Amino acid sequence: MAESEQPSRWKRLGALLEEFYHAPYRGAVARMRRDEEDLFMLFVYAEMMGVPNPAGFYTLELQPLLLERFHDWHRRMGMDHSPLEHFRCC
Amino acid sequence: MELGALLDRRLIFVGGKGGVGKTTTAAALGLLAAERDRRALLVSTDPAHSLGDLFDTPVGSRERKLADNLHGLEIDPEAAADDYLDGVKRNLRGLVRPALYEAVDRQMDQARLAPGAMEAALLERVAALMVEDTDRYDQVIFDTAPTGHTLRLLELPEVMSAWTEGMLGHQQQAQHLGKLLNRLGGRGDDPASMDSPRHDDQGGRIREILLARRRLFYQARLRLQDAAHTAFVLVLTPERLPILESAKALKILQRFRVPVAALVVNRVLPVEADGAFLADRREQEAAHLAEIQRRFGGLTQWRLPLLSRDVQGLAALRAVAARLAAGADDPNYTG
Repeated sequence: MAESEQPSRWKRLGALLEEFYHAPYRGAVARMRRDEEDLFMLFVYAEMMGVPNPAGFYTLELQPLLLERFHDWHRRMGMDHSPLEHFRCC
Repeated sequence: MELGALLDRRLIFVGGKGGVGKTTTAAALGLLAAERDRRALLVSTDPAHSLGDLFDTPVGSRERKLADNLHGLEIDPEAAADDYLDGVKRNLRGLVRPALYEAVDRQMDQARLAPGAMEAALLERVAALMVEDTDRYDQVIFDTAPTGHTLRLLELPEVMSAWTEGMLGHQQQAQHLGKLLNRLGGRGDDPASMDSPRHDDQGGRIREILLARRRLFYQARLRLQDAAHTAFVLVLTPERLPILESAKALKILQRFRVPVAALVVNRVLPVEADGAFLADRREQEAAHLAEIQRRFGGLTQWRLPLLSRDVQGLAALRAVAARLAAGADDPNYTG
């Protein structure tokens, strides 16, 4: 019995150690990625802020991706619905 | 460049200020190529088409025979935009959650109305014609819209490339960070996660579509700048404003390393034009011709005379083509 428990105990210890070392970085990486995504949103929708994007017409396929991410974004910003009259995702 | 060498090029662009005779020049070049047994396609990219009016026969957005070995095509910017957006919608079929269909459709309708949309769609058509390796034609001659428009067409691929690269590059990095997050034990069901299976597939396919489009523009650029492949012909009249605009155009074309092959000086007063009024006019023209020599001295110049009648129909166009060929042999030829 004790022998069969041995590996799972080691595994649990390993997992705990991994969690111990990784946890501090996880938050940082998650934040970094979110920041990247916000930058991406800003990049593509800079047009709304007066910076024209001449490539917009050729990157229309990104729209659904952006609609989904825009949805995530406005919820993250604490808005239940899209704040933009002409840009509605929900 | 000699006329024969020019007519060997696969792509010829004819540009210049509005109303100086671009379409007529392009048509004459097309007829000369056709005479040399080169099958030529004449493409009008100006939203206000005059190709059909010039040949006195309806030409539309489908290739149409104008003469032996010569076909014509007028790109309709509105139809090009519709086609393009339909293509985008097709591309997105199966990539979008059904709940988003309506929102995506709304986006496409807005894109159709956005400023520059038709111009952008037109450029896409031009790029496709430029890289198309069809054996139906030996030569494609573009009668471009007024110079300002044309130069934007030249600049756009570069700008698009910068934006797409930025966006794709960013997306790649975001995905990379997502994978890193997974390895660090982040939850895969994070709603903002880009690397959930659906997103991963969707992002990959969208990236493929955008890369294909960017490749199209990139190849079009490469061809545009390949002197063995492409020649740009500037058309102007011996008048102040066309000279100034052509000088600007030449500078920008050179900056973008587009091979400019020749200058067509159109509507030069012929020697037989007489009278005190025309003598006065000719004096000013001489100054303008000298100015053209000063500004464009390095370029081959072909002169076409001012005609007493409008150029209309195939016979008149053949006459212009013959004068162009004769003028190409003798730079002092004025009709």
